[in-house]
Amino acid sequence: MSSSQILKGILEGCLLSIIAKGETYGYEIIGKLYNYGFTMVSEGSIYPLLLRMRKEGLVTTSQKNLPSGGPKRKYYSLTAKGRKELEAFKERWDEIAGCVNKLLEEEG
Amino acid sequence: MSISKESREFIEDLRLYLISSGKNEKEIEEIAGELEDHLYEAEKDGKDINDIIGKTPREYMEQLANEMSFDFKGLLKFIPVTILGAISYILMGDALRGEMEYSLLDLIGYPFIFLFTLFLSATSFKYVASNEISKTKEWLIFWIVGSTPTVLFLAFIYWNENYDPVTYQVGTVGNVIAIVLSILIFIGISIWNKSWVFIIIPAILFLPQVLIEQTSLEENTKVILTGIFIPVCIMVYSLIVIRREK
Repeated sequence: MSSSQILKGILEGCLLSIIAKGETYGYEIIGKLYNYGFTMVSEGSIYPLLLRMRKEGLVTTSQKNLPSGGPKRKYYSLTAKGRKELEAFKERWDEIAGCVNKLLEEEG
Repeated sequence: MSISKESREFIEDLRLYLISSGKNEKEIEEIAGELEDHLYEAEKDGKDINDIIGKTPREYMEQLANEMSFDFKGLLKFIPVTILGAISYILMGDALRGEMEYSLLDLIGYPFIFLFTLFLSATSFKYVASNEISKTKEWLIFWIVGSTPTVLFLAFIYWNENYDPVTYQVGTVGNVIAIVLSILIFIGISIWNKSWVFIIIPAILFLPQVLIEQTSLEENTKVILTGIFIPVCIMVYSLIVIRREK
């Protein structure tokens, strides 16, 4: 199984978590993901996901002027619904991770 | 903000792909702007477009398009206005030449040709934008799309003359009404669109013809004059527009 298949459902939860830490924009989000070691995520793949999350009302966006001038930059922040979804993701993740770890440990 | 040529081309292709897929213009501008911002930052860090989209352009464009809703409302506004514009254009030309005579086939055929061409254009734009094809193939596709309405019109005219003799004729009063109506529609579209194009282009196409017809020149000279005047006017207008854009 490739990492992208495993990641599919998890990435949304990770984006929620990153955005929950404070208002941020696309390139910064991918930088933070990479800092946590998610280098298997291709940079562009967060945008379709962010589009969907906004459609579902999990995040809102605002355009802000850059201090350096030039075009505006799009910032994401979490909505109340997004916060709830993040909590639900954490619970589900703990449950799944717990089971998987327990199972894999027995193998060794 | 400057990005590499490859990135700029990708953004332009993406715009075309999403427009041809009937997505909302504002949403398209938003995602295009966001990706441009990303590409700019990424290129500063020494990455290129392939690192960012991670798959073929086509797959990536499709993925984005899947998350954007079909702009039905926008299309609902756009199609009737364009049809109206096209009909006024045809009516005006016919009325000025005093050839307002239509068969049932015309009445069905014109809208059909229009919608078919629109559909064909959207499909080919999407194909050209999302596939890496040679310039020759690209030109060939645009050439086929461009000549389709002409070929269809010719086929309709032929069919009309041979199989459908029933025509609806319009008298002088009808001609005048058609001209006035067409002018009103051109003005209406220009106001709606906040652009002079829909007044300037018909004016270039029709005004010289009308003015030259008024002179006492020979028929041949009239035709040649009209033939020279129209392309020259269009060229001058295009140059002015390009100047302004810069």
